Order: sequence, then structure tokens, then C-alpha cells
Amino acid sequence: MSMVKVTIDGRTIEVPAGTLITDAAKMAEVHVPIFCSHSKLPPLGACRICVVEVGTPKMGPDRKPVLGPDGSPEIAWMPKVQTGCTTPVTDGMHVKTASATATQARKGVMEFLLVNHPLDCPVCDEGGECQLQDLAFAFGQDFSRMEQAKRTFDSEDLGPIVKKEANRCIVCMRCVRYCDQVMGEDALTAHQRGAHTEISSFNRQPLDCEQCGNCIEVCPVGALTALPYRFKARPWDLRQHITLCPHCSNGCSVRLGVRGMEVLRARGTENRGVNQEFLCVRGRFGHDFVNSADRLSAPLVKQGGSLQPVTWDEASAQAASRLRDIAAAHGPGAIAFLGGEQLFTEEQYLMQKLARAVLGTNHVDGRTRTVARVPGDAVLRATGGGRPPLTFTDLVNAQEVLVLFDDLQGESPYAQALAIRGQHQTGLHLTVAHPRRVKLARPKFKGDWLGVQPGAELALVHALTKAALDLGAPSDLPGEISWGLEALTKSLASWTSERMTRETGLSADAIVAAAKRLRGAERKAVLFGRAVTEHPQAAALLQAIENLGWLTGALTSSASRVMYAGTHSNSQGALDNGLTPDFLPGYVPVTDAAGREAFGKSWGCTLDGEAGMSAPEILEATAAGRIKALWIVGDQWLRTAPDAALAARALAAAELVIVNDLFMTETARAAHVVFPVASFAEKDGTSVNCERRAQKATRALSPKRGSRADWEVFQFVAQVLGADWRYRTTEDVFREMARLVPVWHGMSWASLLPNGATWSATRVAGSLGYAEPDAKPAGEGMWLLSGGTLFAVDGVGERCSSLARLAKHARVFVSPAEASRLGAAAGDMLELEGPAGVVVLPVEIDDSVPPSAVFVPYAYAGAGVNRLGAPKGAGLRVKARKAAAAAKAGA
Amino acid sequence: MSHAPVMPVEAPAVLEWPEAVKAEVAEAISHYPVKRSAVLPLLWIAQRTWGWLPPAAMQLVARTLELNEPEVFGVATFYTMFNLQPVGRHHLQVCMTLSCSLMGADRLFKHLEHKLGIGHGETTADGRFTLRRVECLAACGGGPCMQVGLDYYEDLDETKVDAILEKLK
Amino acid sequence: MSRGLLLFKDIDTPGLTGIETYRKLGGYESLAGTLGHKTPDECIEIVKSSGLRGRGGAGFPTGLKWSFVPKNSPKPKYIVCNADESEPGTFKDRELMVLNPHLLVEGMILSGYAIGANAGYIYFRGEFAYVQAIVDKAIAEARAAGLLGDNVFGSGFPFELYTHLGAGAYICGEETALLSSLEGYRGQPRLKPPFPAVEGLYACPTVVNNVETIMNVPHILKNGGQWYKQWGTEKSCGTKVLSVSGPVKRPGNYEIPLGLPLRTLIESPEYCGGMRDGLKVKGVIPGGSSVPVIPASQIDAGLDYESMNAVGTFLGSGGVIVIDDQTCMVDALWNLIRFYRHESCGKCTPCREGTYWMGEILERLEKGEGREGDVDLLLDVANNIFGKSFCALGDAAAMPVQGMLKHFREEFEYHVKHKRCMVNRRRQAVMEVTA
Ligand SMILES: Cc1cc2nc3c(=O)[nH]c(=O)nc-3n(C[C@H](O)[C@H](O)[C@H](O)COP(=O)(O)O)c2cc1C
Ligand code: SF4
Ligand code: FES
Repeated sequence: MSMVKVTIDGRTIEVPAGTLITDAAKMAEVHVPIFCSHSKLPPLGACRICVVEVGTPKMGPDRKPVLGPDGSPEIAWMPKVQTGCTTPVTDGMHVKTASATATQARKGVMEFLLVNHPLDCPVCDEGGECQLQDLAFAFGQDFSRMEQAKRTFDSEDLGPIVKKEANRCIVCMRCVRYCDQVMGEDALTAHQRGAHTEISSFNRQPLDCEQCGNCIEVCPVGALTALPYRFKARPWDLRQHITLCPHCSNGCSVRLGVRGMEVLRARGTENRGVNQEFLCVRGRFGHDFVNSADRLSAPLVKQGGSLQPVTWDEASAQAASRLRDIAAAHGPGAIAFLGGEQLFTEEQYLMQKLARAVLGTNHVDGRTRTVARVPGDAVLRATGGGRPPLTFTDLVNAQEVLVLFDDLQGESPYAQALAIRGQHQTGLHLTVAHPRRVKLARPKFKGDWLGVQPGAELALVHALTKAALDLGAPSDLPGEISWGLEALTKSLASWTSERMTRETGLSADAIVAAAKRLRGAERKAVLFGRAVTEHPQAAALLQAIENLGWLTGALTSSASRVMYAGTHSNSQGALDNGLTPDFLPGYVPVTDAAGREAFGKSWGCTLDGEAGMSAPEILEATAAGRIKALWIVGDQWLRTAPDAALAARALAAAELVIVNDLFMTETARAAHVVFPVASFAEKDGTSVNCERRAQKATRALSPKRGSRADWEVFQFVAQVLGADWRYRTTEDVFREMARLVPVWHGMSWASLLPNGATWSATRVAGSLGYAEPDAKPAGEGMWLLSGGTLFAVDGVGERCSSLARLAKHARVFVSPAEASRLGAAAGDMLELEGPAGVVVLPVEIDDSVPPSAVFVPYAYAGAGVNRLGAPKGAGLRVKARKAAAAAKAGA
Repeated sequence: MSHAPVMPVEAPAVLEWPEAVKAEVAEAISHYPVKRSAVLPLLWIAQRTWGWLPPAAMQLVARTLELNEPEVFGVATFYTMFNLQPVGRHHLQVCMTLSCSLMGADRLFKHLEHKLGIGHGETTADGRFTLRRVECLAACGGGPCMQVGLDYYEDLDETKVDAILEKLK
Repeated sequence: MSRGLLLFKDIDTPGLTGIETYRKLGGYESLAGTLGHKTPDECIEIVKSSGLRGRGGAGFPTGLKWSFVPKNSPKPKYIVCNADESEPGTFKDRELMVLNPHLLVEGMILSGYAIGANAGYIYFRGEFAYVQAIVDKAIAEARAAGLLGDNVFGSGFPFELYTHLGAGAYICGEETALLSSLEGYRGQPRLKPPFPAVEGLYACPTVVNNVETIMNVPHILKNGGQWYKQWGTEKSCGTKVLSVSGPVKRPGNYEIPLGLPLRTLIESPEYCGGMRDGLKVKGVIPGGSSVPVIPASQIDAGLDYESMNAVGTFLGSGGVIVIDDQTCMVDALWNLIRFYRHESCGKCTPCREGTYWMGEILERLEKGEGREGDVDLLLDVANNIFGKSFCALGDAAAMPVQGMLKHFREEFEYHVKHKRCMVNRRRQAVMEVTA
């Protein structure tokens, strides 16, 4: 990039051509105030607070700069002041920010901003961190020349989250633009014009926005404030702690405002974390569960059929002795560990160490929602086998993005925001494969929607791969991949245009075009997540995505452009750290004798060389009485396990159930020992996000009285079981990991600061492979589509008051056409009958749902879609009918 | 084109384009390479159809053009000629800007207020007239002037305006 | 009898709105003589050589503007006609379009041809729905005659022309706001650069020209640049339509050779014929309400771009508002500032808040509640807007204040001191109704 020289207030610096004056000033350490300008939005130049004087070298007739008497170029100053936030610097430009003219202009603008601004700073939530207040202090006058009545607006609540005080608004339009260009929501708009301009929603209705709250963040004054935080605290009363959001795999940094033992708010922070100041609605309002009065405050042990509070020593002893008894009686293979994808990396490591090294079992699986066994390295292979991963920066700069089967709105809100911003600002093109017309597939984002038939996911990936293959295989495939090419070509031969259309319901042209776009784009990204890993044919799908990656050039020998956004905040860490039955930490196969020995030596044990059971197998085995003890870590498991009936049978059959949780969830109720654990905000550790970036989280407050971090729980029990564990902090654990686990080799906590580090130290060999899609279940009935929504209400979510309010209640979504076919109107009750059970839910009409399908989001209390039965093969079909009138009355 | 609006008693929650204007809607959209551009033409058609712009009409425009509702609302409220409230059958818009004012617009307006018994922005009880001060109509040489529906009336004085009201049933 | 030199020459011919009459008078000959005979570049050169400057207000040389359109951009290009005519005091485009719509159509096709556009839009202010209907009819006639469509005049040049109706917003006369509005957004101005010629409608190269500008094009292409220079001064070439309003004997549109003294326009029987009812000229706003007023003592200045600048004002859009000696300047200014306050789009701070504030000050001055220092404050506020707003509307609101206070400050001081007007014909007239 070419550099230009610019002189700002006498300081000459070199900056890349095209840098805006305000940014150049920052580099020269000259303060130029801004309001409407925002780093994630294109320049607007509306507020005019950044006005400066600008001059450029005078050019002579020979097009060379005219030199003054002292030999330096003469400067031609522009007659008017210019906005620094919209003017790119040019070579030799001079800028004055503090001249009499510039200062006078800025003072004038400041005075204008205050003309109609109320003097209510003492009762304004923004007070103390308000940019207008700060600037008024710097540039304002101590009296007002505006003596007439100010124009006033009524304040209004825009839904349960946003409080609007329009009198304070300075019409910088940051909120409206951010909502539109970054969030893609367009829930806000300006009403009227001139001095009557007011920010509001459609006809002043509650905001129709699923990503509520970023407008509050970007508001530089107190015009938009958060109702949940209203009048709760002054900013200077709060301790501010930056940690990681626990709600999804994007791994955003959140700044928690803590007073005493209470988390009062969460905000983003510009220049921090992967997300800068972005936070989705869960990140911003999903923290008050930490303060919940329902938090467990003592360990519980089942005595005479009911759970009774006991001391930590008693609980650990109880857990340890019963585990020891079961291992003695039935062998270590009668013990299994489930969950832990939301734990910190260090905790995950200790969890599997407890299982493997102390108890001797390989039945460890973090992926509690999978329906079929998935190799522990399948995700890593599909994302390039450890090659440098796709980062968020790559994503926002991509030309073509393929989203496979996830609704990013709920699963990866930040990735979605980046895709939207890229689409708006740099022409990123989206291809969204999803049976529903999810948000990103709406016309607004000008992408292509591959509305694949439910159950045809694997077919679509094969079809795309075939289309890519027909373009010729990329030339630089690593050896192990090119060897498999011939076989794959043969396997895919049957995917003619007719077959593509027949199996996916899409035109072959659309599929071929999508493959071409992906293949042709120089900068590209493929995103997938739990819709793949939780698919009944997950293993085949992951293999197919790996094929697609290699054949479209999304995977190359040097880098990966495929991202996996897992179910939980640290799903990636769970894979990296051995929460899989077939891999030790760092993708060392359990069956690898040398690797096993290395770990065994350090851990002081001999490790079992046979891979353990995966989560679905563990459940079957427990229900069948072969596994006797289950240790379940976190997760609202009974509500989210793919098959509720199977999960319940397993719980009932188990001799011993140990649960780590914050709340008395349905799962905890079935336990024999319950350990109350600390929340994300109350402990230190690292977490690996979907960029495969390990980031460090620092605790914001001490654990709720009576609770302990999960890692401490594992250590207590390990110690009672005789293990020589002496970790004082999670950092001790990380040090051990950095020594032993290949992916963490050479890292330290310090090396993760400030913005974490992506690892690419370990390689797992890739391969091409092919499996036929399962036949679609025959018979009638409607396809059951499920998945996360933004407001998946787990034990945590339902204890966040704002989220619970936004999430509303469990519903079944059907298209207008299906609704009328079923004779059901919005709000009517619909009865769904699956192979394992029946649920009755109110109808919501939604034209994003395809024909012959119903959509039921996961995880609503009492609505458990998993009671219908687990999907098998290509998917699940249910019978839908309007419920009897009585059901409606009872709803 | 008839421009005498009907004042609906209550706007329904969901509106659809009447058969009679569907072709016009399609024609308007066809004039632009980008659908969004048709937002003003469609708001005009809606206003002509329902006499004003009930929220449901703006929602209809949003649906037709695949826009989000708030965007359409923001556009509709930016411009002064869209009626967000029902108006009378005849919308008297009297120019009050300087040229007309120099020629007696203020006096004329006062006269209308007295005569109709309503003020700026108000509608007569019988729903016949709505009276409004507006800014320059680009008929300054014919000031004072007013616009009623599509029609311009220029060089007005009290007598002329009375005669006009007489004719507007 | 002819009412003007060029655009108004045959304008009162009965039936001119119909294509037949228009053609009988030589209409579409310029089109016939250009398509297939002159290259687009030649057209631009001819317009450049005519010295034609934009008639919408800014007076930017039209040929030069056209030459900014990138020649080898792969994007489609657009020609947009600004028929918003929203500047108070200006009413020329309306009459031109109502009486001679085909001239606009011909001008649009030719302008489109010159810049390489295959589509054009005419943006009318919302109040001009009836004018739109007239122009639409002309477009339909032209289309039926093969003058629009895939193959204009059989020359192989494809061109489509559409009309678009605004809905009440002065700011949509500003070219970038007009484009926002045409694209379906709130009609707010956009950043320049990039200028529309490079990134305009749908981010494609676009030329925006005023109705009168476009209507000159067929004449110039037919007769040549030099021919057009038979009127006007050295730097202000050609004719200009001036809209005269206020208490003159015969207000209306007059097409004059540029450079005609303002006094002649007001007093000559050939034009307005002097003031009515024994009134005298106190001041004149010569170029639409946005330009500074000049006092009666300066009305000998010529009506051309340079002479107007020499007396501290602008020719602007040519909306001449004559203010008589019985009018209170405080009242007049309050009227104008009310307009700008009403029309500020609200995007930028100085204009949004400044027009509101100036309105507050003027209202209290006019009501006799003015205070010591208010006149200075008013000027200060205007100066703080001027040159600091996002678009020229802010300047347009500040200049009337600056002009009034430069020439008529004593009337404002009088208001502060005596709590009433020196004179106020308008107020008296209103009071009579109440009586
Ligand atoms: C606030 C404002 C209002 C304007 N209104 C009009 C208008 O009504 N008609 C017009 O032709 N130009 C108007 N202009 C000027 C246009 O921005 C633009 O310069 C003009 O349309 C260019 O055409 P021309 O070069 O043919 O004059 C306005 C400018 C401003 C700043
Ligand atoms: S000066 Fe500013 S507020 Fe005024 S019209 Fe222009 S952009 Fe809008
Ligand atoms: S001032 Fe009334 S029409 Fe222009």
C-alpha cells in the first residue's frame, strides 16, 4: 500500500493513502473529536464535530508544488473547514485542528448540539461515560445562549430492552446505521426530518429486532439506554472486568460491570476482543443468571430419595467412593463422562484426565447432542486438519461465503454480523444452504439461498462437490488428498444434474453456480456448525464437507477457509482437549501406543488403548445397564439431548449420576450427587472460539457462596480417589497442557494476551471419502426442523430476565400455506406426533418455513421437541394436526 | 384518476392492493433496476387508494418491495405530502412562503380559517375540507396560491377562494 | 406575440404539448440531426463551446460536468432531470414543462446520448403531479413515434425515459438528496466526492441537470455553440428565464439575455412594468430565496453570474423576489427562515439546530420580544452554520440572514428597541380580517 505524508498540527507522519484525517490524527496523537463516525460504519460526515482546516500543496502550471521562500511547499488552504471523518489524506496535506478557525467552528457545532439537549446529566445513565458530556467539558461554554424553549419529544420504551430519550439524541444515526449495516436488522429508522428528526421503530411499535442492544452501545450519548440497567448504577460505581461471553462459539469479549457481588451489565469494548464493541443480545443481556437467587449454594447428595445439602468434603467423598465401588465391581468401563463443551480448556483437560488417568475409562464425550458416533477428529479434518484457520478478519473480507445449514442468527451472531457488514461494505456474496429461509438468506442481503429439502443436506454437499470436481480438481492438493481423487470421482459419478435436482429439490444450475462461485473466489469462507455435527449422518456429512473443501480450494495445503462454529462456547476446546472417546488431548489417538505412553508417563498411569463410547452409545449402554455411573457436566441435558426418552431411561437406570450445574435443572434433579459450580464470570481460564483462537478469560467476581469452579470439583474427587493433583490455579493446569498437549506446545497464558492466539501446530492427515445419503424416511408426515434460535432457553437463558422476555414461549413455526392446509391460525394449538411421543404447541405463522415442514426450536421448557424422538438417517417426520379446542383453552 | 380521498372509519390491520391498481404497481416497479426505488410511487398509489397512509399500507409497500417496514416508515414520514392521518375530501394547501406572503397569503389563510372554522392541520366536521399551511408551491408569480388535490389555484383573493370552496363539494 | 428569445419563443403556440405541433415548429429536428451524425464527444464539445451553465442554481458549466462522466466505465450511466423546482421564488420549470414538455423529452434524449446514458429519469416535486401527467403524455407520444425505446430514430441508440414524483421536500432539489430519494431512501444528501458524474444513481455515473438547462440542449446542438453566444455576456452566455414575484405590476417568467439590468426587468413595460399600488422597491432577492438580498440602490446590476457576485449575491435559480418598502424585513426574514427550518433534512448538526435556533430568535424579534444582543446572536448563529453544514442548504439558510443584516440591520435593531415593526403592510392586512 502506498504511503503518504501528512502534517497535522505540525506533526508530520506517514500513513497509508486513503486514511481519513481523523484516523491519521489518532496516529499522530492529535485528538479530533467524533460523534457520528464509527469504525465499523462508512463515513457519514453529519455531526460536523470533527471539522478541521485542510490545505494541500499549491501546484504550479508545471504540476509541481510551488515552493515558498523557505523552500517548503506553499499550502493552499481550503476556504471552508472540512470534516476530518470523511476526508482522506493526500500526500503533502496539512491539517490544523486547533487553529482559531477550526476551534471556532467546533465550538459552534458543540453549541448547536447543546441547543436542544436537555440538562439531565444527573439522571442520565450515560452520565460519566458520555461523549457529549466529555466534549462539552472540553469545548462547550458554561452558559447557554439559547434561551427559548427547547423542542421536546416524549420518551418511549422500544420493547423490553431499549429505552429511548429522544431529547438527548444528537441524530448521529449510528444506531440506525449499525442496526442496518452491521446487524442487518433495520429495526430502527429516523422519523420526520429537520429538528423533528427522531429515532424510532415502525410506527413506534416495540422493536422488531432479534439482536437488540447494539444500538445502545453505539449511541454516544444517553438517547438509547438499556431498560434492564436503567437507574441501577453510575458508571464510576462499577468495577469493569473484561472476560469472555459464555453463550456461543464466537468467543466475544464482554466488559462486565460489577457492583459488589452483582453483575449489573455487559458491554462490548472498542478495540478489545474479536468482536470489538459488538455484542449480540445474549452477550449483552445474558448475564443476570449469575446473580440469580436460584443458584445452588451447597453440594447435594441424594439421601432417602431426596437431595440434601452436604459439605464439599462429604459430597466429594460420596462421589469418589461410589465411583470407586462401581469401577471395582464392573470395571472402569462402567463409568462415563458427558458434557463439558462450555467449560474452560483447563477444566476440559482435567475432566478427561480424571476419567482416563484416575478412573481408567475412555467413555468421555463432550458432544451430548450428537445422535450418532462421530470421529473425534472429523471436525478438525473438515476444517483443514490443523492448518492455519479462517479468522473473522478473513470472513469479513471474503468475496464468497457459503453457510452450510446453520442459522447464524442463533448459532453465530457475530459471524453473521461480519457477513452482513462485508455484504454491505465490501460486496461479500452469500450463499446460504438451509431448508428455511433464515435471516441471512433474505433478499435484503442479495445472496443466493439454496433452500435444500429437509434431509437432503448430505446430498447437497455431494452435489456441490461433484459440481466443483467437474471444474477440474485444484492443482495443489496435498498427496494424501490427490490419492483419493480417483475413488471420489467414481463415487460421485452418479451425481448427474437429474440426481442433484431429484435429491435436493434444487435446480442443478443453482448448485453448479454456487460451486463455481466458491471455487472461483479468491477469498472465500465456508461455515458450518451444529446442524452438521448433530445431524444423524454427521460423520458422512463432515467427510463430505472435507471433500468439498479440498475440491473448491477452501482447503489448501497452506490454509483453511472452513470454519466450524460449535454448539457451545468451547466446543472446539473440547475436541482439542480430549473430550472425545477416541482421542487424547491434542488429537493423539487413544489407539496410538506411543502417544498413550507419553501421556501415561506424565500422568502416572497406564492408559486404556481402546476407544471409548460416544455420547449416544453411552446413553444406550446406560439404559441397557452396561454403564452404571454417569457424570454429566453442565448443559440442560434432559431438555436438549436428541432423544428425551432415551436420556430419561438412562438416568433412571444408572446407579450413580453426578451432575455439575449452577441450578437445580431437570437433570440435576435426577442426580445422586450435585456439585454447585461457578459461572463463567467467576473463574479464570481459556476458551477456544470458532476461529480456533484460544483466549483468556479473567474472573470478574468470586464464585457465588458455596460454589466452586468445575476444575476444582474434578480435583477434589481425584484427590479423594488418591490422585496426586496439586493445581493451585487453572494456570497451573495450562502449564501442564502446554508441556504435554501438542496443540498447546509452547503457549502460555501471557502469550494469549491481549487478543488470544490461533493454534495450527498439529496436523491431522486429511482424506477423501464417500458415503451414500440415507434414504429419506418414507411415509407421510411433515419434516421436523429443529435447531437453535437466538433465544434458546436453557437453564441459563431462562434466568436472564431480558432474554426470557424476548424469547417468548415455545412455538411451532409453519408456513402460511401449511397453516391453512392444517386449518390452523396463529395461536392455535398444533399437535405433533413423532415416533417417541407427542407435543402440543401454539402455532406461529412464518413464511421462512418450507412446505411440508414444521420448525420447532430447541430447548424451551416444557416443549421439548426431543420428546418426539431422535432423528434417524436423513431426518425425522412427524404428523401434525390441529389440536382439539380444549387444548387451546388450556394453553 | 380520482383524487378525492375517502376517509376510512378504521383502517384494517392487513391491506392488499385492490385489483384495480395492481397493474399500476407492477408498472411502477418496472421503471427501476432496483425495486426499492418504487417506494415513493407505491406510497403515492397507496395514498390515492386509501386517502391516507395507514400503517398497514406502509407494511403493504414494504412487503411488495421486500423492504423492512421501518425503512418504509422512515421514508414516508420524511416527506410532507404523505398523510399519516386521514384528511378531508379536499385538502386545501395554502402557500405561505415569502412571495405569496408578500401578496397576501396570510390574510387569505386567516380568511379560510374563519370561513371553515378550522385551523392549520384540522378537518371540518363534515370531513369535507382539511386546511394546511404549506411552503412554496413554485407558483410564486401567481401568489397567493393554493393547491387542492392535484390542482393549482393562483392569484387568489377572498372572493375567488370563496367561489372555489363553493365548487368543491 | 413571443414571450421570449429561445425557450419562451413559441411557447404559447396552441397545441404545443402535442407532438405534431411540436414537430411542425422544428421539434425533434435536433435529435434527427444529432443521432447518427454527431458523436457523443462532439455533442459535449458543442455544449462546452456554448458556454451554457447550469440553470438550477449553482451555474456550473454544463459541458464540463458532462465531460466528467467516465468514458469507459462498465456501469450503466444515467441522465437525471431535476424538475424539483423547490427554491422559493422560482417557478420557471413548471411553466416550461406544462407548455412545452416535448422540448424536455428531446433534451433528455440528447443529453443522455451525449453522456452515454440509456436511461433517464425526470424527478418532479410532489406537488407537480399534474405536470408529471403532462410530461408522461409527451413521453408516451415520443415512444409511439419511435423516439424512445430500443432504437431511437432508427439510429441504434437505445434510450428509455421515466418520470418520478417526489413527495414534499425542498432538499430533494439538491442533486445528491434527489438521487437518494429516487433510489427510495429518505431524501438526504450524500457525501461528495464521489460526485454524481462518477457515482450517482445506483452508484453509477450520473448527470443531474435542471429542466431549463436540458431544454437549452436541443437548441444548442442544432444551432451550434457560437450561435447560443449571441445572447448574454462573455462569461454568462445565452438566455435565462427569470421568475419574478412580489408586488410588481406583472409578475411572471421572463426570458432575458443574460446581463440585462435588474432594474430593466423590474421597471420596463416590456417586462414587469414597475411596482403596483404605489409601492417602491426596498430590496430584491435576485436568485431564489437562498441568495442574499440586495437593496434598491443596487438594482442597476446586470442579471448575469458575475455582476450579481459583484454586488454580493448570486443569480442562483433566477427567482427574483421583489420586496417593497412597506414590508418589514424582520417579518420577511422570519418567513424565509421558517421555510428553511421546515425543510432542513436534519442530517447535519449546524443546519438542523441552527435553523431551529434562528427561527426562535426571529420569532421573538418579530413578536417584539427581542432582547439586547439578539441581532448579533442571530448573525453569529448564521455565521456558525455558513460553510459548516453538510450540504448547501445550510448555506442557503444562512445567506438570507447575512444579507438582511448587512443591508437592513437597522430594521432589526428597531424591532429590539421599539418592540414593533417600522412598517408592516402584511400584518395590517391580516388584522383587517380579524376585525
Ligand atoms: C438545497 C438545494 C436545493 C436545490 N434545489 C434545486 C431545484 O429545485 N432545482 C434544481 O434544478 N436545482 C436545485 N438545486 C441545485 C442542484 O443541486 C444541482 O446543482 C442542479 O440540479 C444541477 O443542475 P444544473 O447544473 O443544470 O443547474 C438545489 C441545490 C440545493 C443545495
Ligand atoms: S445542511 Fe445538513 S441538515 Fe441541512 S439539508 Fe443539508 S445535510 Fe440536511
Ligand atoms: S412563495 Fe408561494 S409559491 Fe413560492
